[in-house]
Amino acid sequence: MERRVAVIGVGWSGFAPQTADVSYKELMFEAATRAYDDAGVDPRRDVDSFITCAEDYWEGFSIFDEFVPDQLGAVLKPTCTVSGDGLHGLVNAVMQIESGLFDVVVVEAHSKASDILTYEGLLKFAMDPIFTRPLGWHPYALAGLEMARYLYDTGNTEEHCAMVVEKNRRNALANSLASYAADLTADDVMDSRPLFEPLKELDVAGLADGCVVMVLAAEEVAEKLADKPVWVLGMGWANETISPELRDWCRPVYAEIAADMAYAMAGIKNPAKEIDLLEVDDRFSYKELQHVEALGVCDYGEASRLLEDGVFDRDGDLPVNPSGGSLGVGNLLEASGLFRAMEVVLQLRGEAGRRQVQDVEVGVAQSWRGLPTASGAVVIFGSEKEVKKP
Amino acid sequence: MSVERSRLPDEIKHWYGDMICDYTYTLGIAGEKFFTGLKEGRILGTRCPRCGAVWVPPSIYCPDCFEELTEWVEVPDEGIVFSFTIAHAGPDGKPLQEPEIYAFILLDGADGGLLHKLGEVRPEEVYIGMRVKAVWAPEAERKGAITDIRYFKPVE
Ligand SMILES: [Zn+2]
Repeated sequence: MERRVAVIGVGWSGFAPQTADVSYKELMFEAATRAYDDAGVDPRRDVDSFITCAEDYWEGFSIFDEFVPDQLGAVLKPTCTVSGDGLHGLVNAVMQIESGLFDVVVVEAHSKASDILTYEGLLKFAMDPIFTRPLGWHPYALAGLEMARYLYDTGNTEEHCAMVVEKNRRNALANSLASYAADLTADDVMDSRPLFEPLKELDVAGLADGCVVMVLAAEEVAEKLADKPVWVLGMGWANETISPELRDWCRPVYAEIAADMAYAMAGIKNPAKEIDLLEVDDRFSYKELQHVEALGVCDYGEASRLLEDGVFDRDGDLPVNPSGGSLGVGNLLEASGLFRAMEVVLQLRGEAGRRQVQDVEVGVAQSWRGLPTASGAVVIFGSEKEVKKP
Repeated sequence: MSVERSRLPDEIKHWYGDMICDYTYTLGIAGEKFFTGLKEGRILGTRCPRCGAVWVPPSIYCPDCFEELTEWVEVPDEGIVFSFTIAHAGPDGKPLQEPEIYAFILLDGADGGLLHKLGEVRPEEVYIGMRVKAVWAPEAERKGAITDIRYFKPVE
């Protein structure tokens, strides 16, 4: 990258199935206060620009972007909203700094899912109004369909998906932010209520409220302010067609393209060897296997063997979702990607507490926009400014 | 699909608000042609002159080449089950009385196909690759909607 960019502060709030005592504005205020304190910045004085990530329907507002400045310290400052996942917002923050326009940029994303009384209705509104909605399906049926074809093509099995749930919900036991930590087994998952076979109730991440705020800065500012700046080494993003009928039903091509772009930027040639830690979207259990394979860690159909061998465990060779992922922490809607990025940052700073992975220098966060989309982003972070050559 | 929600909207902690959002979605050039076709019992796609793909659902642009598409072709109302799921929950997440079978049907001669229900078949009999055919609503009842096809059933 022409102008290096680092994360110099992170903050969070909520991370619970319900946050009935605070409004979304207060959630944002709390997370922002933590992030600014962590970064050692005063938003009124030091921050040049603010990016929030939100979707009007999730929030229950029209023009939600107009409701964000006050609680972030962004009044009378450049502010804009990315209608998408937090990782897309982070990518935009990096570009604002790289371009030389700003030196310090803040990115925010949150979920106030517990305020939504008609979650199914909103999801339905995300589906094609003419071809899909009249069928009267619950949108998760699309996940069941994709899972069935993915397993058929790769030879990965329902049991492997159940093992993902076991791993992530157990990982979450060491994460105080996790809403769905549980000492359950793959058998419990297999025995859970079938929803859209092969998808079962415990294959699906439950909803949670939470907010994540990050402060990013240009190299010279980052080195002055932060003891442990975490460097953005590469990033990529891509969209497939919105029509499921026209997509590849096995490979999440959006994640392949995003990863290739990010690897090229970071100079990563052998992801399995050069990456120490992965946080990928696992809002449906099979998506974790699919995303790990799309990120080039192994061929399609091989993630199951690596999972069986414990490679993806927190103490394995390539930990995947040591945070507990969305299955363990909860589905944070548009904050899902930024939460993954925060986990990577904390791990690289050595501040992940009981879930700390040993010897990590390069970590990857990957996001998926959720049903019915085929889009997402990949961001590579490093504790050093370059990926060390093996 | 348990979702923790505020169950006491009248409590001072919350204010209840609803949104009334009704729309008429314009079908457009491609949609009008496609759904008029369905009313006539035909499935239509658009062919790309550059890459040769036949797109169903159709559009007036190629998602691969960005070519404008003007050639319409009828594709058979038969194809294979590319993927299927046994649905145990309805649109609101509540359990269904009887499980239903949803599928993505890859239509013969098309790059694509339709999401639809399967009928006249039991869940344990369905497999990926199974040949299926559209069962149409009687002509008088068709409205130019995706539901003009009642479901797809196995081809004997
Ligand atoms: Zn074409």
